[in-house]
Amino acid sequence: MIRDKDRILNLILISPSILAVLIFIYAFIGWSIRVSLSKWKGLTPDYTWNGLNNFTELFADPRFAVDVRNTLIFTGVFVAGSLLLGFFLAVMLDQGLRGEGFFRSLFLFPMAISYIVTGVVWRWLMNPAMGTRLSGLNLLFSYIGLDSLASAWHTTPRWGMAAIALAAIWQMSGYTMALYLAGLRAIPQELKEAAQIDGASELQIYRHIMLPLLAPVTLSALIILGHMSLKVFDLIVAIAGKQLELDVPAIYMWQATFDGLFYGRGAAIGILLLISVAALIIPYIRFTLKTEAQQ
Amino acid sequence: MKGLRIGKNWLYLPLIGMAVFYLLPMYVILVTGFKSFGEIDLKTMWNLPRGIALDNYIEAYSKLAPSLWNSFSMVIPAAIISSFLGSLNGFILAKWKFRGADFIFPFILFGMFIPYQSILIPLVQFMKAVGITGLAGLAMAHIIYGIPITTLTFRNYYASLPQELLEAAKIDGADMLGIYRYILLPISLPSFVVVLIWQFTSAWNDFLFAVVLTGNTDWPITVALNNMAGRGIISWNVQMAGSLLAALPTLLVYIFLGRYFLRGLLAGSLKG
Amino acid sequence: MASVTYKNVFKKFGDLTIIKDLDFQVEDKEFLVLVGPSGCGKTTALRLLAGLEEITEGLITIGDRVVNDIAPKDRDIAMVFQSYALYPHLSVYDNMAFGLKLRKTPKGEIKRRVTEAAEILGITELLQRKPRQLSGGQRQRVAVGRAIVREPKVFLFDEPLSNLDAKLRVQMRAEISKLHQRLQTTFIYVTHDQTEAMTMATRIAVINKGILQQLDTPQVLYDRPSNLFVAGFIGSPSMNFFPAKLSKDGDGIIVDTVDFKVKIPSKHAEPYKSLGGKEIIFGIRPENIHDPEFAPPNIQGEKIAAKVDVTELMGNETLLYLVSGKNTFVGRVDPRSKFHVNDSVQVVFDMDKFHIFDRGTEEVIR
Repeated sequence: MIRDKDRILNLILISPSILAVLIFIYAFIGWSIRVSLSKWKGLTPDYTWNGLNNFTELFADPRFAVDVRNTLIFTGVFVAGSLLLGFFLAVMLDQGLRGEGFFRSLFLFPMAISYIVTGVVWRWLMNPAMGTRLSGLNLLFSYIGLDSLASAWHTTPRWGMAAIALAAIWQMSGYTMALYLAGLRAIPQELKEAAQIDGASELQIYRHIMLPLLAPVTLSALIILGHMSLKVFDLIVAIAGKQLELDVPAIYMWQATFDGLFYGRGAAIGILLLISVAALIIPYIRFTLKTEAQQ
Repeated sequence: MKGLRIGKNWLYLPLIGMAVFYLLPMYVILVTGFKSFGEIDLKTMWNLPRGIALDNYIEAYSKLAPSLWNSFSMVIPAAIISSFLGSLNGFILAKWKFRGADFIFPFILFGMFIPYQSILIPLVQFMKAVGITGLAGLAMAHIIYGIPITTLTFRNYYASLPQELLEAAKIDGADMLGIYRYILLPISLPSFVVVLIWQFTSAWNDFLFAVVLTGNTDWPITVALNNMAGRGIISWNVQMAGSLLAALPTLLVYIFLGRYFLRGLLAGSLKG
Repeated sequence: MASVTYKNVFKKFGDLTIIKDLDFQVEDKEFLVLVGPSGCGKTTALRLLAGLEEITEGLITIGDRVVNDIAPKDRDIAMVFQSYALYPHLSVYDNMAFGLKLRKTPKGEIKRRVTEAAEILGITELLQRKPRQLSGGQRQRVAVGRAIVREPKVFLFDEPLSNLDAKLRVQMRAEISKLHQRLQTTFIYVTHDQTEAMTMATRIAVINKGILQQLDTPQVLYDRPSNLFVAGFIGSPSMNFFPAKLSKDGDGIIVDTVDFKVKIPSKHAEPYKSLGGKEIIFGIRPENIHDPEFAPPNIQGEKIAAKVDVTELMGNETLLYLVSGKNTFVGRVDPRSKFHVNDSVQVVFDMDKFHIFDRGTEEVIR
């Protein structure tokens, strides 16, 4: 019919991309799954069937337990911190103060920097040395008489991940700020005015009008930040190298595969990461596309 | 109204407090970088430099220069190609819905979020097997794994354009490629800037792909910086200078094109 | 120069039938207006002709060529869209020239046609501007200009005035009519606004629920609507309808609404003589309802008792919203009328100007 020629042309033009995505994402995931079910250990690929052994070993592995604990701590601190800080900054910037653009750019610029740079710098800021070798933030605290704030940062036993999350908050809270600010600006001014006339205070307006209306933004931010924390890798490597105390699945995957040549286990960790990300992201994609279709 | 303004001025206090938090690392990078080797001491890291010395930058540059150029030579073509593919895909998915387009789209989208650890082993094996190694392989990875987000951004943008625009062009005599070439491509130049910046930034800042796909002769900047910092041989002041060098290109992009950078960020959250 | 024919045209989206058996001919040089409520299929009917939608069944011909399988660009048509659809990155000149450039028209010829069209539309000084620098009315002219330069056989308009304010709409209405006279080409124009249809069309096609209701000149459509829908759609304020029953009264025929009865004058009664007891709808336009004091002489009047609910003074006329039992209706009476709200009054129906519809089929009976 009329559009047959265009229809074929469409398919020709889009198929390289689809093919690439199919191979580099879906076929590779399948391949990874296959590796995770194999005995492959060493330089030469070995696809001998190993059932779910790599997975069961991981679940019994104390190192993996540490990884899960660390990921939970990191996720909790990072997501909560970024959301709260981001919302706080967005509300302040929404007040129509002079210099809003300046502050907005300031809070956002860490986003442009790589985790590696952030990590290198924060490593020196979070120098845990005490006494005469005091430096970094601890030194700054002593300058302003707040010595009690001095911390062992990422070398704190068990809770070191929280310090890493602090650096991540520094990097990503501008992003949540931008999301919230865009959300706030999308709320019609009339709603605020109506609430004002109804007698709501500025605080009440944010609590009862804005916050509920921003729920979709919070959900998006939650999911995006959440899936980022599951994947965190570069930042930790740059701040702390590959120490067991600050281990996370992504680092374990790395070491198992490329340092230990235990490909089967590395792939298993990768697949577990994929499953946890998918559990978060697939409902999100479905929900977003559904609401989009309704509009 | 005036009372309200005075009432709001206290807000500057927390704002400035937060600004200090965000600027601290930059302050350390900058002052350390300009100190001479003589005044480098962790105990005085917060002090201003006595003069402007470039020793640290010169040393950092001499160590990082090759990898800086590696990064540029890989990032620029990767950003351009994946943006272009994204715009073509976005155009087709938004405006020429073929059968199954709505089915394919979420699968492309999902690629934006996957943890790359789950494809890393096959990626390395595959690249080795087909012989695309080093920077070329890295650029290819950035192009392909960039397709989901570039496609999403362009699709959302093109979907926001009225269908009548395309119909007018059809009646004016343009076929599918003509509509893309003469109407949508020129209109979407601002989106191109957004996507290019986003791709440039994420490819420049990437570490994971770089570290598995390149060796020490073709390391891009992130890997080189991490290795320089991680060995403990290079003093911290040079590391700081190196950090600034590594961050400079994306920071400059951010400073001059921040507006577009922000839009790219928001596009990444699915809904533009 | 071309006529356009729809031959048993259907358009279906899945199970949904948008256009049902559209079958009519538009004569060469005619100004045909497709009118109907929103969602009635009129725009789809136009888009089928433009080639923007595929025809499910039936044939559409332009001139003597069947265009079902011909791409929009090869149908020799031009279209003005509701949103104007100007290319935002091109200047006014380039917007108008775009179609000609794609057709590889020589540069000089493009320039001649664009300049000429710009002169006709009075937009010569805007040629170098971008669409965003134009007002709504100017954009509208550019959209028309883009169609003119193509010198097509048929001009298509899809609600082109609906985004303009009331004053500009009246002005553009006149200009499009003038343009039609000047270009001497077939115009097909879609609108939901019956005033636009009445003022511009040589003929009007009223469409509802994907079905052509009536195709006639504006005057015939107004005077002799063929069914209830057309009667209610054309004319403002709308025709008044009263559910009623026909009954015999000696030699005559009476319309009985329960609340009041009117007698059909014997000279009009012939078609109804055999229909005693039939359930009908009795229709009369507001302008055929009068204040007895100012009723024109020599009309075949029937007096009805009613209560005045609301009055709207328009200056040159007064609208009376009247209640009679369960029925509410509107009269458009002489402005000197002294009727007031809540008055119980008598109004006069001009029984030379009534309409009777079958209550089941909603078709006119005459």
